[in-house]
Amino acid sequence: MFLRLVADSFGRRPRHKLLTGAALALGMGVATAALSVSLDVGDRLAKEFRSLGANLLVTPQADSLPLEIGGVDYRPVNAGAYLPEADLPKLKTIFWHNNIIAFAPILEDQATVFVDVPSANLNSLRSYVTLHPAEPRPVSIIGTWAQHKVSLSDGSTFVTGIDKTNPWWQVEGRWFNETSSECLVGQALARRMGLHVGQRIFLGGSGPHVILRSSLPEFLVTGILTTESSEDQAVILPLSAAQKLSERPGQYRNLYVSALTKPEDDFGRRDPKTMNAADLERWSCSPYVSSIAYSIKQVLPGADVRVIRRVAEGEGQILTRVRMLLWLVTGAALLAAALAVGASSAASVIERRTEIGLMKALGAGSGTVGFLLAAEQLLLAFVGGGTGYALGIVLARLLGERIFGAAPEPSAIVFLVIVALAIGVTLLGSAIPLRRASRYEPAPILRGE
Amino acid sequence: MASLRTANRAMFWRIIRRLLGANRGRLFVMLLALGAGAAVTSALLNLQIDAKRRLTTEFRAFGPNILITPGPDPQRTWSPTLPDSLVASVASALPGKDVNAVGFLYVFSNVRVGKLHGPGPYDDPSKLPLRAVIVGYSSEAFLHLLPHGTLEASQPLGYKTPLCYIGASVALRLKANARDSIALNPWNDCFVQEVDTYGGPEDSQIFVDLETAQRIAGLPGAISLVEARISGTSQQVEEATRAVQRQIPGADVRAVRQFTEGEAKIYNRISGLLTATVGIVLLLTGLCVMAAMTNVAMERKMDVGLMKAIGGSMRRVLRLFLAEAALLGLAGGVIGAALGIFLSIGLGKAVFGVAARPRLIVYPVAVVLTVIVAILSAFPLRRLASIRPASVFRGEA
Repeated sequence: MFLRLVADSFGRRPRHKLLTGAALALGMGVATAALSVSLDVGDRLAKEFRSLGANLLVTPQADSLPLEIGGVDYRPVNAGAYLPEADLPKLKTIFWHNNIIAFAPILEDQATVFVDVPSANLNSLRSYVTLHPAEPRPVSIIGTWAQHKVSLSDGSTFVTGIDKTNPWWQVEGRWFNETSSECLVGQALARRMGLHVGQRIFLGGSGPHVILRSSLPEFLVTGILTTESSEDQAVILPLSAAQKLSERPGQYRNLYVSALTKPEDDFGRRDPKTMNAADLERWSCSPYVSSIAYSIKQVLPGADVRVIRRVAEGEGQILTRVRMLLWLVTGAALLAAALAVGASSAASVIERRTEIGLMKALGAGSGTVGFLLAAEQLLLAFVGGGTGYALGIVLARLLGERIFGAAPEPSAIVFLVIVALAIGVTLLGSAIPLRRASRYEPAPILRGE
Repeated sequence: MASLRTANRAMFWRIIRRLLGANRGRLFVMLLALGAGAAVTSALLNLQIDAKRRLTTEFRAFGPNILITPGPDPQRTWSPTLPDSLVASVASALPGKDVNAVGFLYVFSNVRVGKLHGPGPYDDPSKLPLRAVIVGYSSEAFLHLLPHGTLEASQPLGYKTPLCYIGASVALRLKANARDSIALNPWNDCFVQEVDTYGGPEDSQIFVDLETAQRIAGLPGAISLVEARISGTSQQVEEATRAVQRQIPGADVRAVRQFTEGEAKIYNRISGLLTATVGIVLLLTGLCVMAAMTNVAMERKMDVGLMKAIGGSMRRVLRLFLAEAALLGLAGGVIGAALGIFLSIGLGKAVFGVAARPRLIVYPVAVVLTVIVAILSAFPLRRLASIRPASVFRGEA
């Protein structure tokens, strides 16, 4: 009988139920969208922040003190320590390997740039065999990776390089291909030396002024690099070529790592050496920038890993603020959704006064009536909540794509929260009118007063 | 004729009053929904306008965004410098802007450390000096300019000896701690005030006041470069860069691309999120009012039937209900916007740590939006048009 009454109520007044269900579905849909976007937004923004560049710097522990001014290291070339390139794939084996989105090793040196002698000045035969330095002073050369394929121990490959860690570097032309003898030239250097894309340059130590063409490695300029900083004055070439030029095979000096992190709180800033075992475990299981630095240090022997404060600090502050803002806003949206759903379920109870009156006149107790109505509302909450969730996922996709260019993943937690919320607000919304309904005297209602 | 219209109008308002007063509970729910919607909308709109300013202030943590270096130098001197009076002219080139400009002078020197309550810098002749970069700063504001973490700090010592701030790598190599003294060269000492970590070249530098650095370098009145932080969007930074360049034609003024581009991107994302939220909140407010209005439509069948029966045209009846909705929207909007002022202060404090400055333009916009939402959500009342008085009075429908 009970089930028949519920089924009958749905069958008899499909439009009313549809209306309440629609309000519920819409409210819950909007709540789903708000919730999934804000659950996802931290990760999206963290990714966005990676456009600011690497947040970790790896240097050799045994290194001598860098004498760096304005991006140029004034140490003698043979001073200082280096790290082995062969260790780098280990970065993708640490606990936080999924958080490491890019890394690029750097090897810097100095070299003189030689170009073809313009044939007008000298006789044509000599220009075939000799080169002239473009400038007497040597320039910085930076060996690094670009679109470099790292083979990992599990057989997969990971493509990374300086183009990923420093996305603000603008290349006019294209990046060098690591397998062929190609390079990029900084914008200021290119202007000064009159270099252009497609030209061939030769790199060598500061030797005699005229040098044999065949004795120097030749590089094709594939692009002009603009960074608005010291790299504008340098030649950027594949790491392997730089290692050959500076006679440091398989070595690099600095490594930039770009990692997705959680904003540091007071706990994250603590020194791991002063923690007890439980705290240390909790600390190393949160992707704080310092705990990622700590786990990188453990796989790269002899390396010192430091947080680039300039990037990490600002990122942490802004992420914390934006997250808080979004939680507040999501809270407001959930509250508004609850209010909307509550109001509509209240309306549906008030509407059925006559029916309640009749049931009571036929001998139903307040409890039975309340139970029946609550069961109907629950059924509605399930259906409405489910539809709302589906609707909300679509809405979240639209919003996510508009704002971040990527849709948030549907998550089971959101579904559970939404169904619970739907049940909660429908029951809460109908509680007050139900209480009133249970106090109805059947006679005046049936008389239509 | 005039008196009839006056009477009509008086009747109109009387009916509206009665309609509003009929169900206090529902009136409260609708006002609550509209008020909450208006409050959240105005607070978020306010926050959105304010967020621009706040976030650009927040971006301060990214360090300097303008770099001024000596321009191309025809004589090709080995170490070109700038006059230290330039620092002041950066601020004067940008009147009314929040500028933090610091001049730096770089000089190499061999340094030694002397421990607190221990051997002095020259007590152990076997110890070799360390070659390091000494950086003179024109103002202590450089600590706010360059983001860092402090590893060790000493109480202010109050001696006449200059203070220095040393990078983590220097401290490690020298085995120096806060309050140790460092001999920058045989004639200049300093006390270590702080050991800081930057994650950049600053880690291997020793920061002292500009005069000491100039004395060590033998370059009185000279600086190597100026780093400055100007709060603003990337366009504002670009404009500021041009303004400074005009003021100082000899130097090379550049915006630091790494951060200005990223900042603009992040700002756009956040602003898009806030706009989406305002839309969501308005939609939800509409839903809430619509639910209440559906309720109203059910309850008022009798009233409408009666109105129609005594000759009210459907247009006039609907106008009555729309006026009611608009009035509700106006009341909810005004109450909500007033609450929104406090809400935006609270939100601003919670999110950015500082109260958002109220913008007057936001409140009328929020009220108008709420009225529009209220009128649009009176849509369910359309069903009243199909009511036939006779069947209502017979108790069918």
